[in-house]
Formats: sequence, structure tokens, C-alpha cells
Amino acid sequence: MLDRDLAAEVLRAARARGGAFAELFVEERLGISVRLDDGKIEEVTTGLDRGAGVRVGHGTSYGYAYSNRLDRDALLHAAEAAAASVSDGGPGSVVDLRSLEPPVVHPSLVDASAVPTERKVAWVREADDSARGLGPEIRQVSATYADSVQRLLIATSDGRWVEETRPRVRLSVSAVAGRDDTIQTGFHGPAGLAGAEFIEANPPSSTAEVAARRAITMLDAVPAPAGETAVVLAPGMGGVLFHEAVGHPLEADIVDKEASVYRGRIGERLAAEILSGVDDATVPNAWGSFSFDDEGAPAQRTVLFEDGVLRGWLYDRLRAEKDGVPSSGNGRRQSYAHPPIPRMTNTYILNGSSTPEAILADTERGVLVTALAGGQTNPATGDFVFGCAEAYLIERGEATRPVRGANLIGRAIEVMSHVDAIAADFDIWPGICGKDGQGVPVGSGSPTLRISRITVGGTGA
Amino acid sequence: MPDLLELCAAAVEAAEGGEHVEAFGEERSTTSVEAHRGEVEGLTFAESRGVGVRVIADGRLGYAHAADPSIDEVRATVARARENAAVASPDPFNALPTAEPIEPLDGLFSEALAGMSTDQKVPIALEMERAATTMDPRVGKTESVRYGDAVGGAAIASTEGVRVEYRATGCWVVVVTLAEQDGDTQTGFAYRIARTVEELDHESVVAEAVERAARMLGATKPATDRVPVLLDPVAASSFLGVLSDGLSAESVQKQRSLFAPLVGEPVAADVFTLVDDGRWLDGPGAAPFDGEGVPTRRTELVSTGVLQGFLHNTYTALRGGTSSTGNAVRGYRSSPGVGTTNLFVEPGDRSLEQLLREAEGGVLVQDVSGVHSGANPISGEFSVGATGLRISGGALGEPVREMTIASTIPEMLRSVVALGNELRWFSSIGVPHVLLGEMTLAGV
Repeated sequence: MLDRDLAAEVLRAARARGGAFAELFVEERLGISVRLDDGKIEEVTTGLDRGAGVRVGHGTSYGYAYSNRLDRDALLHAAEAAAASVSDGGPGSVVDLRSLEPPVVHPSLVDASAVPTERKVAWVREADDSARGLGPEIRQVSATYADSVQRLLIATSDGRWVEETRPRVRLSVSAVAGRDDTIQTGFHGPAGLAGAEFIEANPPSSTAEVAARRAITMLDAVPAPAGETAVVLAPGMGGVLFHEAVGHPLEADIVDKEASVYRGRIGERLAAEILSGVDDATVPNAWGSFSFDDEGAPAQRTVLFEDGVLRGWLYDRLRAEKDGVPSSGNGRRQSYAHPPIPRMTNTYILNGSSTPEAILADTERGVLVTALAGGQTNPATGDFVFGCAEAYLIERGEATRPVRGANLIGRAIEVMSHVDAIAADFDIWPGICGKDGQGVPVGSGSPTLRISRITVGGTGA
Repeated sequence: MPDLLELCAAAVEAAEGGEHVEAFGEERSTTSVEAHRGEVEGLTFAESRGVGVRVIADGRLGYAHAADPSIDEVRATVARARENAAVASPDPFNALPTAEPIEPLDGLFSEALAGMSTDQKVPIALEMERAATTMDPRVGKTESVRYGDAVGGAAIASTEGVRVEYRATGCWVVVVTLAEQDGDTQTGFAYRIARTVEELDHESVVAEAVERAARMLGATKPATDRVPVLLDPVAASSFLGVLSDGLSAESVQKQRSLFAPLVGEPVAADVFTLVDDGRWLDGPGAAPFDGEGVPTRRTELVSTGVLQGFLHNTYTALRGGTSSTGNAVRGYRSSPGVGTTNLFVEPGDRSLEQLLREAEGGVLVQDVSGVHSGANPISGEFSVGATGLRISGGALGEPVREMTIASTIPEMLRSVVALGNELRWFSSIGVPHVLLGEMTLAGV
């Protein structure tokens, strides 16, 4: 994408006024999306995006400048702008740039960009047909197929030269079901760091059926009961909760700003003893995986909780250097237009020893959540709220009527300490995580688990 | 380097027989300064531009975009859009608007802001951070203090004769403070957006962020009760965001709006008037024309409680047998959807003091969380988490947290009792304090 001499020249310009290190991030992204709505192929879009960002780090501060031009003048201009924020003395050196070997590769078998657009159109049509085939209640279906190939190059003044190609594929379906005056929606959207073979493994018809069945099921939903109760989370859902309520406060920038409920508490038991959790960018072909992070640090698995004891933070380069530890490979960015910050990759709760059947049978009364709708958390206080997209009442050990409008409300440490059963049926869900205006692909995983008590906000009695 | 309008014109020239081609170009220079612990933590400069091309041939729509393209790359982008159109479904409502005269909108561009040096911007962030950490002994830290600005422009050219461009400036500050006492931590958020630094009044933003954090210290979970609810503008703006989705003709036509059958019907209390106005200069969403080159205007969506209609772009207008309201909203990476320009609730006549007296025994809701996940835009049902302060004797009292409010958007609109007299903007949504009748606040 760029020759090494030019990269070295840009890095030298970026270190003209000092700073601890300089970094050049160059990216090119080619993608296509095919959107079906209301039975029609509404829009097919192709996009070519490219640009470069130059960063100069000094302490936990940085200067960052980017441009979507890749010529020498533009790159040097960006380097000067980034350098302008530093004034700690003379020019810094640039070590010879050496290619790093990836610690893990995520093989892509079928290059999606080579698959004819007609084929992609056929996939979303298949999804539309399958969703509508589930019943006359399905009133509206939208399906989107998207693939992209992100090629990136990272060069740093301490000699890193990293090149990586990340192919991503996603097919998602949103269904609207109606009966009389009741309308409900259902969504499902598997995604992977992979080529088009991912669609063969996750057929559009299956994705559509999950979304459509969810919408139809929820037509019969009764208002969720409000109050404290036991909640059983289906595979993957505990991961979504873990990501939001626990993962974010473990990001080292939030810890560094003393805005984390977990600050200063490494080594303490802050979750149930049966709970262990990790962040792992090496999961093969998972949506949140990569070979190197966006600062050129190798992908790795980081233990966050071990038997309920807090073990570590999620580091990017700035925060790791401040604490004098190696980066955990969690420096990520949405694109060249954003400086990297500590982010999760695939974050999950490890398998336990129970079974989903036993957990349910052992729950006299509560709510079973099979799909969360997303949530919000305040890392400083640990307060969180989650909406439930699909949930059921649990009565005498059985999932019975579906419930709507349920929200899970709680505080991270308390709720994680109330996890009292974990099964061994691990699953991982893809999503886009937003922080500081940057969205990055992440995976959230867990087996079935139970929280003995948590506040459910709902409209029912 | 060709200017934006030249790039767009090159796309139009690449149109082949019978094709309708439109190019939308966008460029921006932004600066952002983040301060922490008395130092500049981050300084970001950005320059970007891009062009997006719509090709409509035989009613089929194709789209392609490119970052910082050359004239040749713009032509290649037209070719890719053309290929994409070939596999799309024909739709008789796919059309480009014909050119209309555009009334210029003076005041969008501030030479003063565009000419500011970084050295003038850095002290704003540093001063805000210093003030935020020294104003109140309980507030000694910040989570985020940021100043940002943007200088940018957009241009559109099409085979239907559209050829327009404009430039605009904007700046904003965000402050999130941390208050600590007796092991309790609370955060306080405040935000302001304006066209010039003078209008930002960043000192008052800091004071607000400090107060919002400090007053929440010691918050407890209250007992469930049915009480009057006064929504702070921050909280009210979250609900308005959900409401706005249902007022787009796109949602209506796709059967995703609960307001679809209610035009001409009362949907809110009499005191409630909701307006979208793309020419309202005080709003950050102001522009002379929309994402398709259609002139912006004022559209009353709800007038004294009665639903008047919906927001349209060219596609939804054609499909709905009406005309565009100038609400095509987009970036260069996507074809135009329907969205709001400046959406605001017409302010009422009450001062905050009056509202507090009227809400006696109730709760001021300072923040709500989970609106986007907790609210169903189609059914209008929601259940959200809330924090706030009790209202007693016409003043704010003890803080409360971990409450949930469950209701529906229509019920909430009908229960509006009174509105504050000061409009606050959150991005391009403007809202005053909103006093609601009694609602159930679920606690323990």
C-alpha cells in the first residue's frame, strides 16, 4: 500500500518534535451492501474508502491527524499536524521497519468480493422468502447482505511493520409481525471475519427463520412483570451483559481516568466464584477477531475474571506504556479517521458445569431471556439497563408465556456476584460496539446462565 | 485539486442515455481537543472529502461512493453505481428532484471560527477541565472534557439541473464530570453546540456538568410510586429521538410507524407543538437545501397536539402523492433517507421555578438510559432506567436512582402538562423542560 521508505519518512516527520513514538496507519476498504426491503432489492451500494492517520504519543497524550489522501504531501502534512501537539525536545529516531509474523490467521476460503452481485441478491431474496414462509403474520421483511475487505498497514517508529487483510461478511434480517393491532419485530444477523463460505455455513433461510419466529412469538407476549426476580440468560446473552456491564469498565482508558467501578480492585472477588471470563481476539473467524490490533500488537487472549476474581484490564499502547506493562492487544479504531483506544474483541464468559435444562428446572419463578436488544452502562457506577427483544416467563421450572417490554436493570458487581448457575452450551453473538463515536465489530459470548436476582423493569403487575 | 462541485459535475457528465445521475459531495476539516488532569490528552486534526453517486435507470437505483476521488475515479464510481442499478428491483418512485431555486441562508459560516488557530482552541479545553475540577470539592475529576469544531461543505449536481453548494461551521463542547463522596461515584454530563465559540458559553456548560454530578451523590433507590414527572431537557431529548423515527414518511410507508393512521387526530396534549425547521439558524441542523438539493423549510408535525403530517424526501413524496418537505438526510456514503433537520418542541411559557412548583411531590428526571434499546418504535412501548431528584417545596431535593419508567410514547405525549420557556439543543434536537402528569416510577 505504501513503500517502506515513504513510511519511514512520514514517521521521522511525525517525531520531529519528540514524543515517545510515532505510528502510521494506512487503510483501504472496499465493500458492498445489498438491501432488500418490502420484497424489493431497494439498493445496492459499493464503496471505496481509504486514508491514513498519523499519531504521535507522549505519555497518555497524543496528537492525531488523518487525511483521505495517500500522496507524500498529504502524509507529511498529517505528520506535521500530529507532531505539533508535542514539544518535549529534539527529533526522535525511527528504527528499521521489520515485518511481524501474525500470531494467528483467520483463513478466508471464498473471496466475497469475487462473488457475483447476482448471487448476493439471491441470498437476500432467499431470506425474504423464508421469513414470509413462516406465516401470514409476517408483514414486513428487510434483509441486508454486506461484505467488506479492509486492508491495512501499520508502521511505527519502534520498527513495527504490520500488514493485514480483514474480510468481513454479514447477513441480517429484520422481520415485522402483526396480528390485529399488535406489532412486534424480530432481528437476527450472524456475522464473521471470513469470506463468502460464512454464508454457506449460516444460510440466509435459517437467519430469516430465527428473526421471523422471534417476531411471531412476541405477538403473544404479555407485559413483563416489574420487580426483582431470577433471570436465566440463553447462550450468548450473558456475554452481551458481560460486555456492557463488565467489559467497558475494564478498558484501561476508563480505569486510568478513575471512571471505572473496578479501579484499584485487581485480585478481589467481584463476581460469583463459578464465573470466569476472557477477551479473546484469536477465536478463529469470529466477528471481533483479528491477527493484529490496530496498533500492530499481536492478537491475544486476556483473562479478565478467574473464578470470580478480577485479573486484568484491556490495554492499548498508551495506557500500557503508562502502567509499564505490555499492551493486551486491545488498541482498536473504527477506521483511519479515528485514533485507537482500548476496546473489546470477543468477550465471553467461559463454560460452567450445569446444563440449560437443569438450570431452568431449578428456577421456580423468573424470566428467561433469549435475545437482548442492546443496552447502556455507566462504567463509573456500574449501573446498566438492557432491553429484552425476546423473553419468557419462567413458572415452576418451565418457560411459559413470552413477555414484552422487559428491561434488566442493575449494577455490574452486584449482578455478576448473583450468577449462581452456568451451563456448558457456549455461543457467541456478533455486534457493533460503540464508544467515543467509534463503532467496531465485537463478539459477545456465554453459555446459559442464571442470575439469582435482578430488577426487571416492565409494564405488567 | 478539483473543487467539490466540479467533481459532482464530472459525475453528471458521465451519465449515459436515459440515465438519471446525481452526485453528492461532502468535505470537512475537524479539530478536537481533549483535556485531562490539566493537560491536553488528545489533539486530533482531520481532513476528509468524498463523493456519492446515485444512478437511476429504468426505475432501478444503484449507489457507489469513493473517498477523495479524482475526476477519473468519479467516473469509475458512476460506472459502479450503474452496475449496481442493473441488479436492483425497478421502483416507479425512484426519481431525482428537479432543480428548485435555493434561497441562501446567511449565517451558517463563521469566518472567525474557520480562521481560529489550534493555539486558540487548546486553552478552551484546558480551562474547562480546570474549572470543572475546582468548582466543587466533591467534583475533583473528569471523565471527558472535549472541544471540537468542524468547517465543511456540501455540493450536489444532477442530470435534472441541480447544481448547488454551501459551507457551514460548527463547534461544540462536551463535559462529563465525576463526583465522589463516601464511596459513591456519580457522573454529570453537559453539552453545547453553536456556530461560533462565543455562543458556546462554555463556562456555563462546565457549571452544569459539575452540578449534575454533585447533586446525584447519595442517590438511593426509591419505593415505587405514581408521581408527577418533570423531564430535564437531556432526558426529554432521548424520547424525542425515538418519536422522530415515527414521523418519517419512510417509516410510515414501511408500516413501521405507530402514527401512520393518525394524521388530523390529536396525538398529544394541546400545549405540544413539534416543528422541523431546516432554516432555523439557531439549530445545528440548518442548511439551505437537503441531501437532494431540495430547499429546506419549516414543517409543523404536531400543532397544538394534532398530528399534521410526516417528513418526506423525493422518493417518499412521490410514493405518497405529495411533495418533498426537504428532509432528505445523508452522508456521501449512503443514498438519501428521510430524517430531521432541526427538530424541536415549541417552548412553553413556564420558568423552571414555576415548573418545580407545579411538580410538587414529583421527580425531576435528569437522565434516562436504555431508550434506544428499551423503546419499541413501532408499538411505542418503552421501559427505561432513570435517575433524578425529588421535588419538594418548589425545589430539588434528595437524589434517586435505579428507577424505571414504563409507558408508551402516545401516553406520554398526551400526559404533557406544561413546557419550559428555554430550548436546549442536543445535536439537532431541541427541547425545553417537559412537565408530565403522574407516571409510575418503579423502584423497590
